[in-house]
Amino acid sequence: MFIPCLLFLVTAFAGCSDVQTQKGKVQADKKIGLLLVNHGSHSKTWRQALLDLESSVKDSILRMGKIEGIKTAFMEYNEPSIATRLKEFDAENYSDIIIVPIFLTVSPHSFDDIPTIIGQKEDPQSKEMLKFEKIERYTPKARTHLAPLLDFTDILQKNVLRRAKALSRNPENEGLALIAYGDETYTKEWSALMDTLGNHVSNHVGIKDYSYGWCGHIVRYKLDSTTVAVENVLKRKEKAIVIPILVAHDENFQIRIIGGGIAKVKNHKQRVIYKPDAILPDANVESWVIKISDKIAGKINAKNSSN
Amino acid sequence: MNKKQLLKWNTIIHRDFGYFLSGLIIMYSISGIALNHIDDWNPDFIITKEKIELKRSYTKSEITEDLVKAFSQMVNEDEYKIYDFPTEDQLKIYYNKSTLHLNLNEATGLYEKLSRRHVFYETNLLHRNSIKGWKWASDVLGAMLIIICLTGLFILQGSRGLSGRGKWLLLAGFLPPLIAFAVHYAS
Repeated sequence: MFIPCLLFLVTAFAGCSDVQTQKGKVQADKKIGLLLVNHGSHSKTWRQALLDLESSVKDSILRMGKIEGIKTAFMEYNEPSIATRLKEFDAENYSDIIIVPIFLTVSPHSFDDIPTIIGQKEDPQSKEMLKFEKIERYTPKARTHLAPLLDFTDILQKNVLRRAKALSRNPENEGLALIAYGDETYTKEWSALMDTLGNHVSNHVGIKDYSYGWCGHIVRYKLDSTTVAVENVLKRKEKAIVIPILVAHDENFQIRIIGGGIAKVKNHKQRVIYKPDAILPDANVESWVIKISDKIAGKINAKNSSN
Repeated sequence: MNKKQLLKWNTIIHRDFGYFLSGLIIMYSISGIALNHIDDWNPDFIITKEKIELKRSYTKSEITEDLVKAFSQMVNEDEYKIYDFPTEDQLKIYYNKSTLHLNLNEATGLYEKLSRRHVFYETNLLHRNSIKGWKWASDVLGAMLIIICLTGLFILQGSRGLSGRGKWLLLAGFLPPLIAFAVHYAS
């Protein structure tokens, strides 16, 4: 009787010690989940790229031990929605949910809509629009922790540089046309991001000229902004390299809007170099998701320890 | 059922479905016109905008609750819900039905108040299928509309019916979309 009891005590103590002392291990009363939130799209290809991102980071994050579950949610158009996923986390008794928005830079979606959906904010415009778009709001029992956006680090610069390099043949004669979704409220910030990306490529590849245009709601999804951006580059350079600054590939954007905008450029077949690709897949984005979620999970655990 | 009876039922279905759907057809038509011009106006909401100017520039570190209250009073808002910083030089204050978005560096602000554009808002809710379950109701109504159209073709007989001038008008109705398609594919 004594030996089994001793063994039980030793095992129980060892287990307890494991929880309390080993860095990176799950804390007893904490259950942290990770929710990767993206915009959502009618395009299956687009959605698959975001699901692939989850698959790529899942094992690494779970191996680190702080986060116990990972899910992806689509803000608009598709299920699983953010509300659906938050309900699932609640049903699985998670205490904390880290939300990593796969969004490029500040916009009403990232700044108002997502916080309003998860109950962190009550933006009157967002509330109305969400109701109109049939996007459910849900305040989870678990605490939510929002991560910064992709422009928080230099991953976008590295991404655009890699894609520009892959297409460039003669940097001196080429200019860059960056086409992004854009935003009416935060045009200054979106323009600043485009300048950062353009300058980064200029400094590292020698494609000195760049221009940018929008393809989203700000231009009512019209092709002209792409055409103008490409023509601006071609006024000064022999060839234009067009890079879509979009999270994933959506036929409506990369093919219809950007491709259509390029097709309106005179001699585009000879003068425009375009690959309808996207930011994803990108190993740096995957590393960023792993790092930022681990960092926030660490903070949640540290806060819990200090309490 | 002989031809006479068939025509009688055709007229009954056309008439009664027509009565039943009149209200909805008008609603959808109004909403359709409103949504056609979505680039020129907001058919769902009236957003009242008011620009304000601050006395001076501020930095994020200077912002206190008292200052947020003072900014709120400039737009006649007594109580704010929360405030947040979209960027290092911007402040957004949230009220019950409005927001104040300040550019601290430029010392400017935009106060926005949202209200529903009634009648349009409600009809657009239907047109956009923004009400849960309406999709199925609207499928049934769509099918009824097709029946109204088809039965309408056989209401009159003779020279004013489908075998007379009706066939020409029916064909003429296809012209606007055909021209539109031709223009689209030619450009």
